[in-house]
Amino acid sequence: MDLPAPVFELKHVSQQFGQFSALTDISLQIYPGERVALVGSSGAGKSTLLQLLNGTLRSTQGEVWAMGRNLSQLSSKRLRQIQQQIGTIYQQLHLVDNLRVIHNVNAGQLGRWSFLKALTSLIVPLETETAIKALSQVGIAEKVYERTDRLSGGQQQRVAIARVLVQNPIVILADEPIASLDPELSREVMDLLRNLAQQTHRTLIVSLHDVDFARSHCDRIIGLRQGKVLFDAAPHQVSPDLIADLYRLESHR
Amino acid sequence: MTVTPSLKWGLIGLAAIVLSLAQAGLFQQDLFNLNGAPLLWKFIVASVHPDFSPELLQTTFNATLTTLAYAVCGTFFSLILGIIGGVLTSEVWWLSFGQPSRFWLLIRGFLAAPRAIHELIWGLFFVNIWGLDPLTAIVAITIPFGAITAKVFSEILDETPRQPLLILLNSGFSPLTAFFYSLLPQAFLNLLSYTFYRFECSIRSAAVLGIIGAGGLGYEIFLSLQSLRYEQLWTFFYALFILNGLVDLSSAWLRRQLGCSSRLDLNLQQTKKKQAPKDIVRRRYFLLLPVSLALLALCFWVINPDFSKLWALRTQQLLGQFVRSALPPDFSEVPRLIPQAIETVSMSVLAIAFSAFGGLLLAFPAANNFFLPGGLLNSNPGKSANLLPQIMLLLSRAILLMCRAIPAPIWALVVLFVMFPGILPGAIALGLHNLGILGRLMAEVIENQDQRPLEALKAQGTPNSLIFLYGVLPLTMPRFVAYSLYRWEVCMRETVIVGLVGAGGLGRSLTEQLSSFDYRSLIVTLGGFLMLTFLVDWVSATARRSLR
Ligand SMILES: Nc1ncnc2c1ncn2[C@@H]1O[C@H](COP(=O)(O)OP(=O)(O)OP(=O)(O)O)[C@@H](O)[C@H]1O
Ligand SMILES: [Mg+2]
Repeated sequence: MDLPAPVFELKHVSQQFGQFSALTDISLQIYPGERVALVGSSGAGKSTLLQLLNGTLRSTQGEVWAMGRNLSQLSSKRLRQIQQQIGTIYQQLHLVDNLRVIHNVNAGQLGRWSFLKALTSLIVPLETETAIKALSQVGIAEKVYERTDRLSGGQQQRVAIARVLVQNPIVILADEPIASLDPELSREVMDLLRNLAQQTHRTLIVSLHDVDFARSHCDRIIGLRQGKVLFDAAPHQVSPDLIADLYRLESHR
Repeated sequence: MTVTPSLKWGLIGLAAIVLSLAQAGLFQQDLFNLNGAPLLWKFIVASVHPDFSPELLQTTFNATLTTLAYAVCGTFFSLILGIIGGVLTSEVWWLSFGQPSRFWLLIRGFLAAPRAIHELIWGLFFVNIWGLDPLTAIVAITIPFGAITAKVFSEILDETPRQPLLILLNSGFSPLTAFFYSLLPQAFLNLLSYTFYRFECSIRSAAVLGIIGAGGLGYEIFLSLQSLRYEQLWTFFYALFILNGLVDLSSAWLRRQLGCSSRLDLNLQQTKKKQAPKDIVRRRYFLLLPVSLALLALCFWVINPDFSKLWALRTQQLLGQFVRSALPPDFSEVPRLIPQAIETVSMSVLAIAFSAFGGLLLAFPAANNFFLPGGLLNSNPGKSANLLPQIMLLLSRAILLMCRAIPAPIWALVVLFVMFPGILPGAIALGLHNLGILGRLMAEVIENQDQRPLEALKAQGTPNSLIFLYGVLPLTMPRFVAYSLYRWEVCMRETVIVGLVGAGGLGRSLTEQLSSFDYRSLIVTLGGFLMLTFLVDWVSATARRSLR
């Protein structure tokens, strides 16, 4: 079988923070259209891995390739061009609180906008239809002119997703997008992410604490444990034993 | 589109600035006096060859020590006043005694008057009573600073979470015990942090007080400026820079050790603070006390104030005489006061506009987390050969230090080399001095800013200029504006001190009436000035609240 070129490729990647090794010798490939779940206990290195993928962190060892480019070899301009194709939804939202929703959504397009256009839009919002369309896709179109910090946590999460929609990237990375949501909202957000990926054939990489969602919404699960890949398999191959192994406390080893 | 509070206040601010500019005569009269340019040039050239002769260095050293001693003693007494006043004027203190009365509001109101009058006016007043005794300088700092500290302390106490206190009270502890075991420890770091900030302010005030003859660096600077000895002047300037720089640095370092990152918290939405590990914090407290006590003892020894004058019979006589000669107030000057009041407000508006703008420009290069290697807006990470950001950092910090270290009246005298007297030179002088303070506060805001929203923008490939526009600016602006509004209140009080050197406004009348012993008019002018300060405070507080 002839596989397409991978979207991401990690070659023996390690990430060191001082003495501490957050990721050790990770090698993996992610292909277009895959929906990958990253699971693992707190501190396993999920967020770190996602940061390596979107180019905000440079690996201390090994190579990270995205869309056929070695991220550590790129000039900052080239890197930005790659990054425009990668949309990230963060664990702690990372929105600019005191801007109105419309601007936070429009921020998804900043990679393409000129300075003048961006400046004008802060005064008289531009491309509002695009933003409102994205917001109605996540179900909060009526909040478009609200100040972002006045929204609830779940609504802010949707703003973050709407921003990625507007950015229209090839890949969506999501770092625990449902960590602060109730079960009902969690399901909605996960459905939204899955549909987004399926309908437009985007690649989705999402870190999760909830293994059930990983099974139901993704077609590949990568288990991280203390910075190493413990398993990397399709949902039906991930047995309860493997999961138990993943979350086993360190002292019981 | 609806009119948001920020748009509304922005327009009001803009209108105020334009009106003030018109008031300052920008559009009509001659402002610049180019005859003074050679003198200004001589003054600037002298900065590269200051006078380092041994005798002058000795004088400089003594003067520096005097200024430091005034500041230390002044801070000490205002801290004592501040603690007592702060506790007594806090709502929570009376609450823990089960007093439903509004007594605290009354005392709070009573403290507003001493706060509104600038140290320099207090100084001029006490010079009339005690002459040029060090006591004059200390008391002149203590009265307004004590009142300000009391106000801020009471606010800190009232804003500290009360739950633990209530739990202790409800479980039958005596109110005093409950207060000391719950509220004070919680509020302690904030109180301490503010004390450091007050000390930085005291240093600057001590220098200003020199100008009325109280000795120290301000006095020496004033003398050499008047006698055109610019080489000596710069020696004193450099001493002042070093003193201010050292105090600011050590205060910042101490606050960082104690884990309180911001020197004065204006109670906007609380940003997530980085907490220092608790055990480190505790170890340092013990060092702090003996060191400050030793410093205090040294300072008292150096200036040796004559405290007996405080309760001497002569003091009482002179005070009584003052009261008698000030009554009844003389309202005949009121028609002349009104245009002066308008001038004063215009001067304060222009000063704060100038310093907010300048501070904003300098704050970004002065912050250590943006353009330096590894900083968010550094465009070529990895390649650290570029030294430009470091140079900009040092340069902008040096400018900020120079601006705030030189007292406003001295700036005024320098500006008057090339400008005709009026409110514009006064505003520029005040603006320059406050620019140094605001720029530093703003740089701190930038350094403490939550970086994550900016990283998110960066991660999607946003260019630096747009990260700035969509991230940095909106995130930091509310704090900038709040600090500027707060500083506007201070500028308003400080208009008095540039009035002293002829910059116009109510300050000029105040100082004239003080030195000609015209106390009956003085009382009226002072009353007008107080009303004006309260008005400005009210506008500033209203704006800050609606912009929150
Ligand atoms: N910038 C950093 N400096 C130092 N250590 C870091 C840094 N970022 C992450 N770490 C460490 O690396 C390890 C992995 O962190 P990471 O945030 O990737 O975990 P995670 O799997 O996302 O955990 P969680 O589920 O709690 O979000 C942790 O032990 C963390 O303390
Ligand atoms: Mg994480």
